Amino acid sequence: MAEHSFPPRSSVKRWLVTTNHKDIGILYIVSSLFFFIFGGILALLIRTQLWTSGEFILSGSAFGQAVTAHGLVMVFFFLSPFAFGFANYIVPLQIGADDLAFPRLNALSYWLYFFAGMVFIVSFLQGGTIEAGWTLYAPLNLPAFMPSPGATTAILALLMFVGSVTASTINFIVTIHTHKADGLSLWHLPMFTWSILLTVWMMLIAFAALAAALLILGADHIFGAQYFTATEGGGLLWAHLFWFFGHPEVYIVFFPALGVMLETYQTFTGRRLIGRKWVILAMILVTLQSFLVWMHHMFLTTINLEIKTLMMAMTIGISLPFDLIVFAMIYTLLKGRIRYTTPFLFNFGALLLFILGGITGVFLGAIVLDYEFRGTYWVVAHFHYVMFAGGTALIGGLYYWWPKITGKMYNEFLGKLHFGIYFIGFNLLYFSMFLSWEMPRRVFTYHTGLETYNQMATIGGIILGASFLIMFYNLYTSYLSGPDAPDNPWEYSRTAEWATSSPPPLENFEGVPTYRNGFLEFEDRNAVADGGHVEHGHEPGRHPDHASWWPVTISFAGFLMLIGLAGLGEHFAYELLFIGGAAFVLLSAIGWGLEDFYAPEPLRGAKWPFDGVHKNKFGMWVFLASDIVIFGAFIGAYVFIRWGYGWEAWQNVPAESLPGLVNTFVLLTSSFTVILALVYAQRGNRRGVIAGLLATIGFAFTFMLIKSWEWNFLLPEAETLPEAVTMLVTLDFDVLFHTEGPAIDASIMHSTYYVTTGLHAIHVLIGVVALGYLAWRAWAHNAYIDGNERPVENVGLYWHFVDIAWVFLFPLFYII
Amino acid sequence: MASIKLYFAVYVALLILAVTKVIFIEFFEYWTAVGAILVSAFTKSALIAYYFQHLREEPRAISWLVLISLAAVLLLAAAATYSIT
Repeated sequence: MAEHSFPPRSSVKRWLVTTNHKDIGILYIVSSLFFFIFGGILALLIRTQLWTSGEFILSGSAFGQAVTAHGLVMVFFFLSPFAFGFANYIVPLQIGADDLAFPRLNALSYWLYFFAGMVFIVSFLQGGTIEAGWTLYAPLNLPAFMPSPGATTAILALLMFVGSVTASTINFIVTIHTHKADGLSLWHLPMFTWSILLTVWMMLIAFAALAAALLILGADHIFGAQYFTATEGGGLLWAHLFWFFGHPEVYIVFFPALGVMLETYQTFTGRRLIGRKWVILAMILVTLQSFLVWMHHMFLTTINLEIKTLMMAMTIGISLPFDLIVFAMIYTLLKGRIRYTTPFLFNFGALLLFILGGITGVFLGAIVLDYEFRGTYWVVAHFHYVMFAGGTALIGGLYYWWPKITGKMYNEFLGKLHFGIYFIGFNLLYFSMFLSWEMPRRVFTYHTGLETYNQMATIGGIILGASFLIMFYNLYTSYLSGPDAPDNPWEYSRTAEWATSSPPPLENFEGVPTYRNGFLEFEDRNAVADGGHVEHGHEPGRHPDHASWWPVTISFAGFLMLIGLAGLGEHFAYELLFIGGAAFVLLSAIGWGLEDFYAPEPLRGAKWPFDGVHKNKFGMWVFLASDIVIFGAFIGAYVFIRWGYGWEAWQNVPAESLPGLVNTFVLLTSSFTVILALVYAQRGNRRGVIAGLLATIGFAFTFMLIKSWEWNFLLPEAETLPEAVTMLVTLDFDVLFHTEGPAIDASIMHSTYYVTTGLHAIHVLIGVVALGYLAWRAWAHNAYIDGNERPVENVGLYWHFVDIAWVFLFPLFYII
Repeated sequence: MASIKLYFAVYVALLILAVTKVIFIEFFEYWTAVGAILVSAFTKSALIAYYFQHLREEPRAISWLVLISLAAVLLLAAAATYSIT
């Protein structure tokens, strides 16, 4: 949909179809605030319950659900999406880009997030949502403790959310590395963009580990796999996978807030950040170190003392770069001339809160002290002082960028009043938790001697919640009737978003931003007759598209499919919903593939160290990096469980290695045929391309046929092909998993075999769909022989990865 | 972009390496065979990535992207397994 036919913002249709980064940013901000209110109401329910130690408004189970849902909603559906609302809106402006690298994928990220939230809400209506705490520790996270479909639905909601995060990660990594304005090097990126860049690099690894954990947990719930019930370390396995994600997640939440703090300190002190390059280096160091400390969350488990000691030392190590960052911020404040605006107050408050949160966290990083503090309200208080300190900075960010986003100024007095009441409520609420540190967390009652502290906390919670009524009133009246905001309402702001109108035009800047001469300048978009657009990446006479129905359609279809998947075996309606939803996903994905959506890549610009890599290929490599972690985590889980079981006592499930070896030959040959398709595409040989692709599809089916035979669940029961197909489409799980072949729940050995090779089989099937699409395009439209063979190459990259995964699965599950 | 001959040579090498895995487990002592099989698997993966996925033609940063992911997940698997040793 070109600009002239793009619906206005007053139209509902605009918000359903938009792919523009600013619209998506607004959608993220509004939706995350909705989830903030939802999570806040849950928090007030918890605090009401804890007003006294003996009178209850919630049952034990309802309290457990409220605590769990509060944590999950706030961490996953509020904090990060709120931050990424700003990232969506601001980062392209700060780097001088027209939009993100993949605008449609960006819309898909948002809608997957939105519908993941809806799936999570539905989980409350299915006999109760999950109640294992936000860390979802095993075995509490298993059907034995939570048999309702709601618990499974909640897990699938998180999985859908991870899908959204993965799409977003790919988009931001590619965008920030390849869509920067000419002359804007990495060193000179604004601090907020730096914080987002490091955040998405952490997300790439961390969320892939969470994806693996949730996929395995989903298999335990839906198919009866035995991973986390395994006595060979199932509970520890969950803790490892979760905290390998969970510790970086703290920085994933906090870094964008840190970026806002660094921006606002510069703007409201009139000082450039002191020690700027050292702060960037410290942030890079924290990014790396965040993956080296996860076991300090496991000091009370049976992991060995040597690794605990190492993790304690590493934890002390990670506080050092943070010290540098905090001192750089304090020094900048001391050397500058502070303007006490609302955004500054919130960000200064965030620093104070974070310092207290950081210091109290040091206690938890020491093994001996952790034995005393773990599982108490000390952890709850510390956690909120860190995470909600980040939230505090982000609220400051909302005030800071509000004039840019809406074109309206807010009421400064009401903003400051909000901050004052907020800060009092915050500390009354969470500091009381430090004082009641002996109280075990996640329990619906407590020792009567702690009632005073709990009542202080509840009053604090009410004050904190009420302060937001002022914020919403202020922003609402500002939007309706506030004074118009100038392009740059802040005297000493220094980043590019303030160099355009408030709000900015559809493609952000009237001219093309460039830093070629060391400072921000704008070139006329049409200065070079007949060539201006070409130079900036646009095809002559063609405008970028800004709208597509497919992101919202695919996400809605996914919503239906996952609700159905969660209830398989419960009721026929769930099976119908799953099959209908899956078909809907497939059809809408095909619709996505057929849509001619134009999003050009700028030809000029600072792209080091990824110069010369087309954005689609770069995006595919980032996706594959994420997939490496997912497959690696599955293989790691297998190695971990097998090691706990006794490596050599383990018995491989396949009786013989021959079928696996044959499948290895089949996949290797398919890798060769897909590369032949690429060679023929480069040579302009249409028949060669089609033959190569069809041969690859043929080998994929051969692989799946052998795999089906080997799985031994289908063929012994089905005497004819139609019977086999009927079993598949009717999802007769009794036949699929519990008949003549060894069942998935027969032992941990069977679970690991079926689940890991099942993940691989899903990859093969996705590859078949992509290869089929390419073959059809090559046949019907003579595609890929006109010099644009990139789609063949990119799908080939994926297919080779599927091959590489099997290179490891074969020996692990068949030979050794 | 390489020639079909080179791709074919890589393909044949991959097939041979696949067979070696079965041979190693038959003729070597168990843990020696495990080591040899892992070396064979990593060699195969490197060949596929380097030639079929054209990592040799991409900027080095793409290789680093892959290696960082691999290192992260190897760290997870190794440290987790060590923690229960």
